Amino acid sequence: MSNFSIPGSQSTPAIDGDWDHGTLSMQGDSYPENSYELFQQVFSWVERFLLEAGRPLTLELRLLYLNTSSIKAMMDIFDLLEDAHHEGKPVAVNWRYDPRNERVAELAEEFKEDCTFPFAIVALDSATSTS
Amino acid sequence: MSRDNGELEELIKRQLADPDLREHPLNFTLGQLWFQYRELLNRMERITRMSDAYQSMARQRELSLAERFDKQLRQLEKVARISDRYQHMMRELNIALKEAATHDPLTALANRRPLIERLKAEMERSERLGHPFCVAMLDIDRFKNINDGHGHDVGDTVLIETARVMEAEVREYDLCGRWGGEEFLIILPESTLALADDIVRRVRGCIGQLKVRVGDEVLSVTISAGLAQYRGGGESYSGLLNRADAALLQAKRDGRDSQRLAD
Repeated sequence: MSNFSIPGSQSTPAIDGDWDHGTLSMQGDSYPENSYELFQQVFSWVERFLLEAGRPLTLELRLLYLNTSSIKAMMDIFDLLEDAHHEGKPVAVNWRYDPRNERVAELAEEFKEDCTFPFAIVALDSATSTS
Repeated sequence: MSRDNGELEELIKRQLADPDLREHPLNFTLGQLWFQYRELLNRMERITRMSDAYQSMARQRELSLAERFDKQLRQLEKVARISDRYQHMMRELNIALKEAATHDPLTALANRRPLIERLKAEMERSERLGHPFCVAMLDIDRFKNINDGHGHDVGDTVLIETARVMEAEVREYDLCGRWGGEEFLIILPESTLALADDIVRRVRGCIGQLKVRVGDEVLSVTISAGLAQYRGGGESYSGLLNRADAALLQAKRDGRDSQRLAD
């Protein structure tokens, strides 16, 4: 019904919400000047998708550096998914990372800690991990 | 309600209902009193019920507030923990980046950046304290022949081994780095030309004893070097390096495997 796309910049991730495929992808670094403004759009999209779409939702993440307010925003989004999961709605997260930087995987583990929905932390092929 | 009260109420109800007592002068008064008593009791029960309801509502509210507070607190702790780890990651990446920016990836020696920084610092120190310091430019003789004859892998191995020996043989406060190609620079603080001459001779000797095995063959290399002492009086670092370079060129012209001192 409504796709949603924000091009990435040096300090903000590229964000793409695909309503028909039920995917939301986020890629890059996140230390925006106004993270509330940026993530409010993401939050609203996810909220509306979960309410209206009646389809599975998958988050495809390739996030590297997150500043403190971005961390908070991501946790709020995961809370949304957790609530949806408890209502029996199918949701999942795939967090992909460059195996040359294992620390990103450790941080993804921290986010995963309180989530009971499927949350995969997957190493990228080094051939495709050019960013 | 105690048993006595219960018995009294039963007695009053019975007496009010007794037809023999209906004409009694106190019957009407007792009836009024009984009515008022029942009203008060009803009201009290209602108030108690309401107050209980309020109390349980407030309790619910308090519980949900405490729950929300706990949740926020847990979330805050988690945010802080993750944020700390991100900062830690950035710090480590910074260190790795600095290492990459200041060191030659092949030999792990300092590259030009820290060499020039150190040169400027030593020049200032020398001006201030009047202490002598020298630089030595070293070059592996006929390195192109090694690369062409045995391939770049062997050439790389020679560079790595040469760097290793050089770093092991200089004094702790000397700085050696890869200036480029097969050229190395050693900064020798607190040294006259005569002292630097001895140190560089020892370094060249040790590198000359290196043996790099290639198949059945054993390779060894010789080093030419040019040394210059800082003149002071506003000589630029490039001026100093040019003089060392010219001395190195002289050593090469004089047949290599030797070292020359700049004027």
